[in-house]
Amino acid sequence: MPDIFDAYFAQQVINGISLGLVYALVAIGFTLIFGILNVVNFAHGEIYTVGAFAGLLLIVGAAPPLLAVVLLVMAVGAAAGVGLERLAFRPIRRFSDEASLKSRAMREATLLSSLAVSIVAREVMAHVFGGEMRIIPQAALLQDVITLGPLTLTNGNLIIFGASVVMLGGLQFMLYRTRVGLSIRAVSNNVLGARHVGIDTNRTIVATFAIGSSLGAAAGILVGLYDGNIYPYMGFAPGIKAFVAMVMGGLSSIPGAVICALLLGVSESVATDFLSSGWKDLIAYGLLVVTLIFFPQGLFGHGRERV
Amino acid sequence: MALLELTDVHVTMGVQEILRGISIAVPERAIVAVLGGNGVGKTTLMRAISGIYGITAGSIRFDGQEIGNTPSHGIVRHGLAQAPEGRQIFGTMTVRENLILGGITVPQGEISGLLEKSLELFPVLKERLNQKAGSLSGGEQQMLCIGRALMAKPKLLLLDEPSLGLAPKVVKQIFDLVKRIRDEGATILIVEQNAKAALKVADTAYVVEGGKVAVEGKAADLAKDQRVIDAYLGGAAHAKG
Ligand SMILES: Nc1ncnc2c1ncn2[C@@H]1O[C@H](COP(=O)(O)OP(=O)(O)OP(=O)(O)O)[C@@H](O)[C@H]1O
Ligand SMILES: [Mg+2]
Repeated sequence: MPDIFDAYFAQQVINGISLGLVYALVAIGFTLIFGILNVVNFAHGEIYTVGAFAGLLLIVGAAPPLLAVVLLVMAVGAAAGVGLERLAFRPIRRFSDEASLKSRAMREATLLSSLAVSIVAREVMAHVFGGEMRIIPQAALLQDVITLGPLTLTNGNLIIFGASVVMLGGLQFMLYRTRVGLSIRAVSNNVLGARHVGIDTNRTIVATFAIGSSLGAAAGILVGLYDGNIYPYMGFAPGIKAFVAMVMGGLSSIPGAVICALLLGVSESVATDFLSSGWKDLIAYGLLVVTLIFFPQGLFGHGRERV
Repeated sequence: MALLELTDVHVTMGVQEILRGISIAVPERAIVAVLGGNGVGKTTLMRAISGIYGITAGSIRFDGQEIGNTPSHGIVRHGLAQAPEGRQIFGTMTVRENLILGGITVPQGEISGLLEKSLELFPVLKERLNQKAGSLSGGEQQMLCIGRALMAKPKLLLLDEPSLGLAPKVVKQIFDLVKRIRDEGATILIVEQNAKAALKVADTAYVVEGGKVAVEGKAADLAKDQRVIDAYLGGAAHAKG
């Protein structure tokens, strides 16, 4: 039994926080969309991959500073999210009354249409970029080592931490202080009420996809540069983990999803102390099963606000 | 010319024609009541005016412009806001956020002034600004619902059964406020099951039956109309008392 207070443990917690923050950024997209439409967007993992590839092309093509890369990737992610909504969600949303916006038929249809878009997007990327990992220019990698006493960090840890805190803070600001954000929360809470006050629900849904997707895409490029590899299937695992975090968090609670994502990231990272890394995915599924059995509403799902 | 004019409006939901040629006129600065039994299509009418439902035939003119089949967010911008059936407040959001959302169609700079005016009309909401709207009492929720609609600076305020499920004292309070809102310059179209209270404040009234207007006239005359008394004012017993 390893001493759990040793430096190795602290190291794993730090790595786990980075991992968890990435899951959180991806989970927010799921959560926002679930809040507003009651559907799981299966193509969200592909947005993450699109973000990573968009960033890679930018770096290889123009080598702009990291901040510019992240901002441009977020813009690409937002555009991809808007396109996804047009392609997989809007055509099925034919009726505009409140009953059909969150109906079961709608849920099942968009489940399949978003899954279809995700498969096509993934295969197209595999075809264009090749199935294997891409080499990232050394200078762009976020792997500069920083030693803090017994701990070894990389600048990637710090950048992911900083970027996530800024993005999560920005998101909260947006949801609570801006008209777009208030509209998103209003549509999530009561579609009919939202329409009566004069909110354009379609525009609000598009904004939700844009915001959620920009965060997912940013996560993709940050992880690509931190891990040092970018490949067409890279969105799958974080997509599943973020989905688990969303379910654990109560499906449509952002704070819940963020906390559960961190919990998941740290558990996975620390578990490599005890388990070989091939088993670490089991943690997410284990937590999911435990949550569904003992907390069917999610750990934070009860009586909380939806977004 | 009336502020709002419905001419031969038809609305079909699914295969069922709910409104079969309704014509209603709401003159400027009037209070007009629409009465009718359960399921005759009063809420359908209100939703058609607000652009939640489309109309299949006829015309809805507001302030001289055709607004039939305009989407709801366009309707509110025309100056027509509704306190809908079931209130439809944002229960998980605060009272303040609900009110701010009511003003989502007006320029940002006017919000704080409008908020002050709404709170003056509904002082109970003042102490509850930071409370979740879902935790308010039924009467308070109805006030929030009307206050939220007023945040849009409507020329015409639509009220769908504002008295539903409220104690008589609160009903009176709400109807007093309705009169006050009219006196301050708005026009009001109100749907009510509580015909007695509605006819007391209204100038004119319509009774809807089978998707059409069955009776219309001055509210005072309708209150004496035997058919209306029998059907909506508790019959003979009420007429005597
Ligand atoms: N979205 C809808 N789809 C199908 N039918 C509907 C829909 N909305 C209303 N209806 C039907 O239209 C009819 C009129 O409903 P509406 O809600 O307008 O009645 P109402 O006069 O407001 O009744 P109440 O006094 O009970 O509020 C009802 O038979 C109802 O079932
Ligand atoms: Mg009704």
